[in-house]
Amino acid sequence: MIKPLLQGLKITLTHLFKKPVTLQYPTERPQIEARFRGLHALKVAHSSAKCVACYLCPTVCPAKCITVEAGEDAQHNKYAEKYEIDMLRCIFCGYCVEACPVDALKMTGEFELANYKRSDFVFTKERLLEK
Amino acid sequence: MVNLTIDDKQVTVPKNTTIFDAAKAAGIRIPILCHDKKLNPFGGCRMCLVEVEQMKGRQIPACTTPVTEGMIVRTMTDEIAKARKLVLELLLLKHPVDCPVCDAAGDCDLQNLTYEYQVNSNRFTDEKFHHAIDYDNPLIERDMNRCIHCGKCARICDEIVSFGAYTFISRGIEAKMGTQFDGPLNCEFCGSCVSVCPVGALLARPFKFKARWWAMDKVKSVCSYCGTGCQLTLGVKDNKVLTTIYDENQGFHNGQLCTRGRFAYQFVNSDKRLTTPLMKKNGALVEVTWDEALNAVQQRLASAKTAGDVAGLVTPRLTNEELFVFKKLFKDGLGSENYDHSAGYAHSALSKGAVESIGVAASSAVIADIQKTGLLLVVKSDAYETHPVVGFEINLGVKRKDVDLRIISDKKGKLTKLPGAKTYLNIPGTETLLVNALAKTLVDENLVDAAAASITGFEEWKKSLDGAAPEQVAGICGLTADEIKTLARDYVKAEKALLLLPLGLGYPGHTKELAQALFNLSFAAGKHGKEGCGVLLLAEKNNSQGAVDLGLYPVAGGKDAAAIIDGCAAGSIKTLYVAGENLVVSYPNRKKVEAALDKVDFLIVQDLFLSETAALADVVLPACSFAEKEGTFTSAGKAVQKVNRAIKPVGQAKSDFEIFNTLYVNLSGKPAVADPKAAFAEITASVPAYAGLTYETLGDAGVVVVPAMTPKFAVAPGAAPTAEVGKMALVTGSALYHCGTMSLYGEGPMHVCPAGYVEIGREDAKRLTVQDDDLVTVTSAAGAVKLKVKVGSRMPEGVVFAPYHFADQSVNSIASGESVTWVTISK
Ligand code: SF4
Ligand code: SF4
Ligand code: SF4
Ligand code: SF4
Ligand code: SF4
Ligand code: FES
Repeated sequence: MIKPLLQGLKITLTHLFKKPVTLQYPTERPQIEARFRGLHALKVAHSSAKCVACYLCPTVCPAKCITVEAGEDAQHNKYAEKYEIDMLRCIFCGYCVEACPVDALKMTGEFELANYKRSDFVFTKERLLEK
Repeated sequence: MVNLTIDDKQVTVPKNTTIFDAAKAAGIRIPILCHDKKLNPFGGCRMCLVEVEQMKGRQIPACTTPVTEGMIVRTMTDEIAKARKLVLELLLLKHPVDCPVCDAAGDCDLQNLTYEYQVNSNRFTDEKFHHAIDYDNPLIERDMNRCIHCGKCARICDEIVSFGAYTFISRGIEAKMGTQFDGPLNCEFCGSCVSVCPVGALLARPFKFKARWWAMDKVKSVCSYCGTGCQLTLGVKDNKVLTTIYDENQGFHNGQLCTRGRFAYQFVNSDKRLTTPLMKKNGALVEVTWDEALNAVQQRLASAKTAGDVAGLVTPRLTNEELFVFKKLFKDGLGSENYDHSAGYAHSALSKGAVESIGVAASSAVIADIQKTGLLLVVKSDAYETHPVVGFEINLGVKRKDVDLRIISDKKGKLTKLPGAKTYLNIPGTETLLVNALAKTLVDENLVDAAAASITGFEEWKKSLDGAAPEQVAGICGLTADEIKTLARDYVKAEKALLLLPLGLGYPGHTKELAQALFNLSFAAGKHGKEGCGVLLLAEKNNSQGAVDLGLYPVAGGKDAAAIIDGCAAGSIKTLYVAGENLVVSYPNRKKVEAALDKVDFLIVQDLFLSETAALADVVLPACSFAEKEGTFTSAGKAVQKVNRAIKPVGQAKSDFEIFNTLYVNLSGKPAVADPKAAFAEITASVPAYAGLTYETLGDAGVVVVPAMTPKFAVAPGAAPTAEVGKMALVTGSALYHCGTMSLYGEGPMHVCPAGYVEIGREDAKRLTVQDDDLVTVTSAAGAVKLKVKVGSRMPEGVVFAPYHFADQSVNSIASGESVTWVTISK
């Protein structure tokens, strides 16, 4: 009867002197690994988004949360006139990044995605552009 | 029949079948790039290589090699796979492979085969093509860097469209599919080349970057422009019709369309669509609710019913089911027979002519007869402009089936340029005289078919031809008596011979008499009721034939369109219900129509757009386009075909079916027609030719109905219009890129033919000292309009042509429904 009780106490006591596992967020911040799948970013090259609006990411996305609308620029090139991801639906699978034929999309370490309004979870192209 | 073995399967096919077709019949797929079932074999790409045991396993193209008895064919071995892979590697060598930005991706034969044969790398290296891309064309974008030289575009444009816009230029590695002098493309814009291009070298510019092929819903439907009744597939995404998708297995035309069907779908989602009901308040149309609008209409119709001063004009663009409920609304709901469509005369060849001649308001031939006939006599070269895909059938008949093409016409045109075509240029308006003279030749030369004498009215008809002899009318018609006689003899001597006449609002001269003269001629020559024989009357709009089948014109005592307009002007019609017709622009004599509509107390217009007619209305009801509803259309070739709903109604628009139905229920107190399907069931019970049809039996392919016919000779006198000295003969009609007034809301046609014009022959242009694009005033007794000049070689001296579709400077301001309008032209 007493033995298991003491065993329990022992575990508690050893933990008292160990380094805590809990992060004191937000004062303490986690270390994000490179392969972490957080908020998307549209890569930029020559001061414009690399995305050519091929529609492969919205096609592959299992949560169907990506909206692309292609446009034609002055040089007759295809670009994403509209590029939106609904972060409330995204399941962070990373398929979109994998599907992109021009390496225009990546997932960042950004995980603080809380917002006050539902509509603010829809990330537009401007918000997604790589900073 | 030939027996052979393909991949261990026994196959029996007719002689002259290619290995490719034999394999296809046996359900074995051989990959192709340059072959197309509609085109002559080409054998250019070598993708279809197969091994034939008797040829010591040599690889030969399946698409060009005919089968022989006992042949043993293998369609897939390691060697074949290797050879095909090599073909693909070579094709990809200079190809840009920019699939992410190429609209063909997903529907690209090269892409699909590259994937199938796993061409992941290339053994060869070379520079990519550097051809300039044609971005300037409003309808067809040409990126020859992506071209794989299959030649399909050039072949379809030559073999089927008979335009010949493309040809290979340069040779070897420099070879390129080019246009005349490598200049901009300026053609019929039928888009046939775009549809057959296996890659993304030819693309529909209006659809550029709009959506991916796989992301669209594909909805089968029927073109809502002309009476040809081409089947098409709508590409739909996010409740919008984004494009028409090519399906080589659709319809008699194998998916081919004309510029209207292919490029003029934008009217469906046009910004100009009416989205709410409108009512006139203080002299201006303001938006109101459906309840308010319908209440006003209903009250007005109820009182008009009592007063008996109501009339209706309806467009034959509506479905059979809608026309049916419209008729019910008028007959049972309003107790009126005052309804008509298409100005009355555009259908009189059918509703009056054919009814008297063969006992039913239909043609005595179908479209399939064109390719089966021996001699085809077309009245008016315009048959190509009014019904372009019927024109393709004529092209094919002439080029592949050796159809002897003869054309009686007041101007030259596309058809007159076909190989071997013989044209008889007649003086405008004398067609009936001419056809009667042909018949008279048969009578005089004892060429009349033995069976003709037993047809009712024969003697009387024969007598009526006195005075119609070629010698007597040749001068009036502008032909020689010999020409008329030879034509008549050739017509009667041909084993099978078909007569063809296009109808429409632009052709007031294509009357009951002309149709009857043609029927008489066909009876007299014994060219009636047989395959490849008869008279094909091409009704103008998508459902014009349906409208006459359903009897959407006054039969017993009601007012026809002309009488309705007169009634409005005289005050005996106080309430007019116009559904889809834009009579201000399309009916004869604009001034008269406008004045009549002005007099009407209460004008209800139900339309897709705020047309010139709708702008005069007291209540405007927004209706649905063909893409928003279900129903059937009946083509000029009498094919009853199903239209399927592709998108939800735009804005608050309601289908004509729903609107008519609501009014019908409230005004008649009878139960509603449940849905289009129920309406169709009622139609099949009341229209004999449709008996037994159901939506299920129509299926995707539709059914060509064959009504029973009883021939009867009807006296059909012709008269030449009296020429006015010093004036030119203006003939109206259809432009190739337009159909009625609806195509003005389709972007495609408006890019290539944005405004009205007057076409003048070279001689006349010289005499008048006018050039292309000069603005001239065309004046007739009815008024004057300013039109741009188009100088061409189609027009004979003294004759000018103007298309009728356009709202600004509309031709009906000078034309009043006569076959010829006499005009003067001044700068
Ligand atoms: S896959 Fe890449 S290029 Fe294509 S739409 Fe998505 S981000 Fe743009
Ligand atoms: S034509 Fe086909 S293979 Fe070539 S870029 Fe377009 S989709 Fe890719
Ligand atoms: S659009 Fe038609 S007419 Fe023009 S090039 Fe293509 S096939 Fe020929
Ligand atoms: S443009 Fe298209 S259809 Fe024409 S040859 Fe090239 S690949 Fe073939
Ligand atoms: S307008 Fe007539 S010919 Fe052209 S695609 Fe439509 S139905 Fe066919
Ligand atoms: S498909 Fe047979 S050679 Fe091209």
